[in-house]
Amino acid sequence: MQNLYDLRRTLTSQGALLCFNGPFSHSIIEELGKAVRKYLETEEVQKSALMDVFSVYIEATQNVSNYANRAEWPEEERARLNAGIIVIGRSGDHYVVQSGNPVRPEDGEALGRRLDQLIALDKPGLKALYKEQMRSKLGPDSCGAGLGLIEMARKASEPLTYALVPDPGGLAFFSLKVIV
Amino acid sequence: MTLEFMDIPATVSSPQVRTDPQQGLICLAGESYPENSFEFYRPVSAWVAGFLARDGRPLTLEIRLTYLNTSSIKCLIDLLDEMEEAHRAGRTVALNWYYDLEDDRAMELAEEFKEDLTLPFTIIPVRRDG
Repeated sequence: MQNLYDLRRTLTSQGALLCFNGPFSHSIIEELGKAVRKYLETEEVQKSALMDVFSVYIEATQNVSNYANRAEWPEEERARLNAGIIVIGRSGDHYVVQSGNPVRPEDGEALGRRLDQLIALDKPGLKALYKEQMRSKLGPDSCGAGLGLIEMARKASEPLTYALVPDPGGLAFFSLKVIV
Repeated sequence: MTLEFMDIPATVSSPQVRTDPQQGLICLAGESYPENSFEFYRPVSAWVAGFLARDGRPLTLEIRLTYLNTSSIKCLIDLLDEMEEAHRAGRTVALNWYYDLEDDRAMELAEEFKEDLTLPFTIIPVRRDG
Protein backbone atom coordinates (compact mmCIF):
# COMPACT_ATOMS: atom_id res chain seq x y z
CA MET A 1 0.00 0.00 0.00
CA GLN A 2 1.63 3.25 -1.16
CA ASN A 3 -0.68 5.42 0.86
CA LEU A 4 -3.84 5.08 2.87
CA TYR A 5 -6.03 7.01 0.47
CA ASP A 6 -7.66 3.96 -1.14
CA LEU A 7 -8.33 2.33 2.21
CA ARG A 8 -9.81 5.54 3.51
CA ARG A 9 -11.94 5.99 0.40
CA THR A 10 -13.30 2.46 0.72
CA LEU A 11 -14.19 3.04 4.37
CA THR A 12 -15.76 6.41 3.70
CA SER A 13 -17.82 5.10 0.79
CA GLN A 14 -19.21 2.44 3.14
CA GLY A 15 -20.31 5.10 5.62
CA ALA A 16 -17.65 4.22 8.17
CA LEU A 17 -17.40 6.71 11.03
CA LEU A 18 -14.77 4.95 13.07
CA CYS A 19 -12.63 1.91 12.64
CA PHE A 20 -9.90 0.05 14.43
CA ASN A 21 -7.74 -2.81 13.24
CA GLY A 22 -5.41 -4.51 15.70
CA PRO A 23 -5.39 -6.38 18.99
CA PHE A 24 -8.40 -5.58 21.21
CA SER A 25 -7.11 -4.89 24.69
CA HIS A 26 -9.49 -3.85 27.43
CA SER A 27 -8.10 -0.30 27.41
CA ILE A 28 -8.56 -0.04 23.62
CA ILE A 29 -12.16 -1.22 24.01
CA GLU A 30 -12.72 1.46 26.69
CA GLU A 31 -11.12 4.25 24.67
CA LEU A 32 -12.88 3.45 21.39
CA GLY A 33 -16.13 3.09 23.31
CA LYS A 34 -15.69 6.61 24.72
CA ALA A 35 -15.06 7.88 21.20
CA VAL A 36 -18.18 6.17 19.84
CA ARG A 37 -20.35 7.68 22.56
CA LYS A 38 -18.82 11.16 22.16
CA TYR A 39 -19.42 11.02 18.43
CA LEU A 40 -23.04 9.89 18.76
CA GLU A 41 -23.70 12.52 21.42
CA THR A 42 -22.54 15.27 19.08
CA GLU A 43 -24.82 13.79 16.41
CA GLU A 44 -27.68 14.24 18.89
CA VAL A 45 -28.72 10.65 18.45
CA GLN A 46 -31.52 9.57 20.81
CA LYS A 47 -30.19 8.18 24.06
CA SER A 48 -31.66 4.71 23.56
CA ALA A 49 -30.25 4.44 20.00
CA LEU A 50 -26.86 5.58 21.25
CA MET A 51 -26.90 2.93 23.96
CA ASP A 52 -27.93 0.24 21.45
CA VAL A 53 -24.91 1.03 19.26
CA PHE A 54 -22.62 1.17 22.29
CA SER A 55 -23.98 -2.10 23.60
CA VAL A 56 -23.47 -3.92 20.28
CA TYR A 57 -19.96 -2.44 20.06
CA ILE A 58 -19.07 -3.69 23.57
CA GLU A 59 -20.49 -7.19 23.07
CA ALA A 60 -18.78 -7.55 19.68
CA THR A 61 -15.34 -6.42 20.86
CA GLN A 62 -15.49 -8.29 24.18
CA ASN A 63 -16.53 -11.47 22.35
CA VAL A 64 -13.44 -11.20 20.12
CA SER A 65 -11.20 -10.45 23.08
CA ASN A 66 -12.66 -13.26 25.23
CA TYR A 67 -12.24 -15.74 22.38
CA ALA A 68 -8.64 -14.75 21.68
CA ASN A 69 -7.72 -14.85 25.37
CA ARG A 70 -9.20 -18.23 26.22
CA ALA A 71 -7.27 -19.82 29.05
CA GLU A 72 -6.58 -22.97 27.05
CA TRP A 73 -4.77 -21.19 24.19
CA PRO A 74 -0.99 -21.13 24.22
CA GLU A 75 0.52 -17.63 24.29
CA GLU A 76 1.40 -17.50 20.56
CA GLU A 77 -2.13 -18.64 19.63
CA ARG A 78 -3.60 -15.72 21.59
CA ALA A 79 -1.41 -13.29 19.69
CA ARG A 80 -2.49 -14.86 16.39
CA LEU A 81 -6.18 -14.77 17.27
CA ASN A 82 -6.32 -11.36 18.92
CA ALA A 83 -6.21 -9.39 15.70
CA GLY A 84 -9.67 -7.98 15.33
CA ILE A 85 -11.23 -5.27 13.28
CA ILE A 86 -14.22 -3.14 14.16
CA VAL A 87 -16.00 -0.68 11.89
CA ILE A 88 -18.86 1.50 13.04
CA GLY A 89 -20.71 3.30 10.33
CA ARG A 90 -23.97 4.71 9.20
CA SER A 91 -26.30 3.53 6.49
CA GLY A 92 -29.35 5.71 5.95
CA ASP A 93 -31.22 5.92 9.25
CA HIS A 94 -29.33 3.04 10.79
CA TYR A 95 -25.99 2.51 12.44
CA VAL A 96 -23.96 -0.50 11.42
CA VAL A 97 -21.47 -2.27 13.68
CA GLN A 98 -19.19 -4.73 11.90
CA SER A 99 -16.59 -6.82 13.62
CA GLY A 100 -14.17 -9.42 12.36
CA ASN A 101 -11.51 -11.68 13.79
CA PRO A 102 -9.39 -14.75 13.00
CA VAL A 103 -10.87 -17.98 14.32
CA ARG A 104 -10.04 -21.66 14.17
CA PRO A 105 -12.15 -22.94 11.25
CA GLU A 106 -14.16 -25.36 13.43
CA ASP A 107 -14.95 -22.54 15.89
CA GLY A 108 -16.03 -20.32 13.02
CA GLU A 109 -18.39 -23.01 11.76
CA ALA A 110 -19.84 -23.54 15.23
CA LEU A 111 -20.34 -19.79 15.58
CA GLY A 112 -22.11 -19.74 12.22
CA ARG A 113 -24.48 -22.52 13.31
CA ARG A 114 -25.21 -20.61 16.54
CA LEU A 115 -25.97 -17.46 14.55
CA ASP A 116 -28.23 -19.39 12.16
CA GLN A 117 -30.31 -20.41 15.20
CA LEU A 118 -30.55 -16.81 16.38
CA ILE A 119 -31.37 -15.44 12.93
CA ALA A 120 -34.35 -17.82 12.76
CA LEU A 121 -35.87 -16.40 15.95
CA ASP A 122 -38.22 -13.42 16.30
CA LYS A 123 -37.89 -10.89 19.12
CA PRO A 124 -40.01 -12.83 21.66
CA GLY A 125 -38.06 -15.99 20.79
CA LEU A 126 -34.78 -14.14 21.37
CA LYS A 127 -36.02 -12.81 24.69
CA ALA A 128 -37.01 -16.31 25.85
CA LEU A 129 -33.61 -17.70 24.85
CA TYR A 130 -31.87 -14.78 26.56
CA LYS A 131 -33.68 -15.46 29.82
CA GLU A 132 -32.96 -19.17 29.61
CA GLN A 133 -29.25 -18.51 29.00
CA MET A 134 -29.16 -16.00 31.85
CA ARG A 135 -30.25 -18.70 34.31
CA SER A 136 -27.82 -21.34 33.10
CA LYS A 137 -24.83 -22.14 35.27
CA LEU A 138 -21.42 -21.26 33.85
CA GLY A 139 -18.13 -23.06 34.16
CA PRO A 140 -15.67 -21.50 36.64
CA ASP A 141 -13.29 -20.43 33.83
CA SER A 142 -16.00 -18.92 31.75
CA CYS A 143 -15.21 -15.37 30.72
CA GLY A 144 -18.43 -14.38 29.04
CA ALA A 145 -21.99 -15.29 29.80
CA GLY A 146 -22.82 -16.65 26.32
CA LEU A 147 -25.31 -13.82 26.04
CA GLY A 148 -23.45 -11.43 23.75
CA LEU A 149 -24.74 -12.78 20.44
CA ILE A 150 -28.32 -12.91 21.70
CA GLU A 151 -28.02 -9.35 23.01
CA MET A 152 -26.75 -8.17 19.60
CA ALA A 153 -29.61 -9.98 17.83
CA ARG A 154 -32.09 -8.32 20.19
CA LYS A 155 -30.69 -4.83 19.55
CA ALA A 156 -30.56 -5.34 15.79
CA SER A 157 -33.26 -3.88 13.57
CA GLU A 158 -32.51 -6.40 10.81
CA PRO A 159 -31.34 -10.03 10.97
CA LEU A 160 -27.64 -10.44 11.73
CA THR A 161 -25.41 -11.44 8.83
CA TYR A 162 -22.03 -13.12 8.92
CA ALA A 163 -19.32 -14.50 6.67
CA LEU A 164 -16.55 -17.02 7.18
CA VAL A 165 -13.62 -17.06 4.78
CA PRO A 166 -10.39 -19.10 4.83
CA ASP A 167 -7.31 -17.20 5.93
CA PRO A 168 -3.75 -18.30 5.12
CA GLY A 169 -2.02 -20.16 7.91
CA GLY A 170 -4.86 -22.55 8.75
CA LEU A 171 -7.16 -20.03 10.33
CA ALA A 172 -10.43 -18.61 9.07
CA PHE A 173 -11.73 -15.07 9.27
CA PHE A 174 -15.14 -14.43 10.74
CA SER A 175 -17.13 -11.24 10.05
CA LEU A 176 -20.33 -10.21 11.75
CA LYS A 177 -22.61 -7.36 10.70
CA VAL A 178 -25.18 -5.86 13.04
CA ILE A 179 -27.58 -3.19 11.81
CA VAL A 180 -28.97 -1.24 14.75
CA MET B 1 -14.76 -11.97 60.32
CA THR B 2 -16.71 -8.75 60.42
CA LEU B 3 -18.53 -7.30 57.49
CA GLU B 4 -16.70 -4.35 56.11
CA PHE B 5 -17.44 -0.96 54.76
CA MET B 6 -16.39 -1.26 51.12
CA ASP B 7 -15.71 1.66 48.86
CA ILE B 8 -14.34 0.57 45.51
CA PRO B 9 -13.93 3.60 43.24
CA ALA B 10 -15.44 3.58 39.76
CA THR B 11 -13.30 3.23 36.64
CA VAL B 12 -14.26 3.87 33.00
CA SER B 13 -15.74 0.36 32.77
CA SER B 14 -16.49 -0.68 36.35
CA PRO B 15 -18.92 0.83 38.83
CA GLN B 16 -18.32 2.29 42.24
CA VAL B 17 -19.26 -0.19 44.96
CA ARG B 18 -20.14 1.15 48.39
CA THR B 19 -21.38 -0.87 51.31
CA ASP B 20 -22.63 0.19 54.70
CA PRO B 21 -23.02 -2.85 56.95
CA GLN B 22 -24.64 -0.77 59.71
CA GLN B 23 -27.34 0.62 57.45
CA GLY B 24 -27.67 -2.65 55.52
CA LEU B 25 -26.97 -0.88 52.27
CA ILE B 26 -25.02 -1.73 49.15
CA CYS B 27 -24.78 0.68 46.20
CA LEU B 28 -23.50 0.11 42.67
CA ALA B 29 -23.04 3.24 40.56
CA GLY B 30 -21.57 3.89 37.12
CA GLU B 31 -20.75 1.86 34.05
CA SER B 32 -20.38 -1.90 34.14
CA TYR B 33 -18.41 -3.66 31.41
CA PRO B 34 -15.24 -4.75 33.23
CA GLU B 35 -12.60 -6.91 31.57
CA ASN B 36 -13.76 -9.80 33.75
CA SER B 37 -17.20 -9.25 35.26
CA PHE B 38 -17.16 -12.48 37.25
CA GLU B 39 -13.98 -11.47 39.00
CA PHE B 40 -15.26 -7.96 39.60
CA TYR B 41 -18.58 -9.06 41.11
CA ARG B 42 -17.17 -11.89 43.24
CA PRO B 43 -16.49 -9.68 46.33
CA VAL B 44 -19.86 -7.97 45.84
CA SER B 45 -21.67 -11.32 45.95
CA ALA B 46 -19.55 -12.41 48.89
CA TRP B 47 -20.51 -9.28 50.82
CA VAL B 48 -24.23 -9.79 50.17
CA ALA B 49 -24.04 -13.49 51.06
CA GLY B 50 -22.12 -12.59 54.23
CA PHE B 51 -24.68 -9.96 55.23
CA LEU B 52 -27.63 -12.27 54.62
CA ALA B 53 -25.98 -15.11 56.54
CA ARG B 54 -25.20 -12.93 59.52
CA ASP B 55 -28.16 -11.33 61.13
CA GLY B 56 -31.77 -10.63 60.40
CA ARG B 57 -31.45 -6.94 59.55
CA PRO B 58 -32.95 -5.52 56.34
CA LEU B 59 -30.77 -5.20 53.24
CA THR B 60 -31.22 -2.65 50.49
CA LEU B 61 -29.45 -2.81 47.14
CA GLU B 62 -29.25 0.50 45.32
CA ILE B 63 -28.47 0.34 41.60
CA ARG B 64 -27.38 3.40 39.67
CA LEU B 65 -25.80 1.69 36.69
CA THR B 66 -25.85 3.59 33.41
CA TYR B 67 -24.78 0.63 31.28
CA LEU B 68 -24.33 -3.10 31.87
CA ASN B 69 -22.76 -5.54 29.44
CA THR B 70 -24.22 -9.03 29.29
CA SER B 71 -21.70 -10.62 31.64
CA SER B 72 -22.45 -7.91 34.24
CA ILE B 73 -26.15 -8.61 33.76
CA LYS B 74 -25.45 -12.29 34.44
CA CYS B 75 -23.57 -11.39 37.64
CA LEU B 76 -26.36 -9.12 38.77
CA ILE B 77 -28.96 -11.85 38.13
CA ASP B 78 -27.02 -14.19 40.39
CA LEU B 79 -26.84 -11.49 43.07
CA LEU B 80 -30.56 -10.79 42.82
CA ASP B 81 -31.38 -14.50 42.95
CA GLU B 82 -29.61 -14.62 46.27
CA MET B 83 -31.65 -11.68 47.58
CA GLU B 84 -34.83 -13.23 46.18
CA GLU B 85 -34.13 -16.41 48.07
CA ALA B 86 -33.67 -14.43 51.29
CA HIS B 87 -36.90 -12.58 50.61
CA ARG B 88 -38.80 -15.85 50.17
CA ALA B 89 -37.30 -17.05 53.43
CA GLY B 90 -38.88 -14.05 55.16
CA ARG B 91 -36.00 -11.56 55.21
CA THR B 92 -36.58 -7.89 54.55
CA VAL B 93 -34.72 -7.02 51.36
CA ALA B 94 -35.34 -4.31 48.79
CA LEU B 95 -33.99 -3.15 45.49
CA ASN B 96 -34.03 0.43 44.27
CA TRP B 97 -33.10 0.76 40.60
CA TYR B 98 -32.40 4.28 39.35
CA TYR B 99 -32.21 4.96 35.61
CA ASP B 100 -31.75 7.91 33.29
CA LEU B 101 -35.19 9.18 32.36
CA GLU B 102 -34.12 9.64 28.73
CA ASP B 103 -32.77 6.14 28.33
CA ASP B 104 -35.66 3.79 27.43
CA ARG B 105 -33.29 0.85 27.18
CA ALA B 106 -32.22 1.27 30.81
CA MET B 107 -35.87 1.21 31.88
CA GLU B 108 -36.59 -1.89 29.77
CA LEU B 109 -33.62 -3.64 31.35
CA ALA B 110 -34.84 -2.84 34.86
CA GLU B 111 -38.30 -4.13 33.96
CA GLU B 112 -36.87 -7.35 32.57
CA PHE B 113 -35.05 -7.93 35.85
CA LYS B 114 -38.21 -7.22 37.78
CA GLU B 115 -40.30 -9.73 35.79
CA ASP B 116 -38.58 -12.67 37.43
CA LEU B 117 -38.55 -11.40 41.02
CA THR B 118 -41.06 -11.00 43.82
CA LEU B 119 -38.91 -8.97 46.25
CA PRO B 120 -39.74 -5.27 46.65
CA PHE B 121 -38.29 -3.70 43.49
CA THR B 122 -38.69 0.00 42.81
CA ILE B 123 -37.74 1.50 39.46
CA ILE B 124 -36.97 5.20 39.81
CA PRO B 125 -36.40 7.58 36.86
CA VAL B 126 -33.85 10.31 37.42
CA ARG B 127 -33.11 13.37 35.36
CA ARG B 128 -29.45 13.47 34.52
CA ASP B 129 -28.02 16.92 34.89
CA GLY B 130 -25.34 18.13 32.50
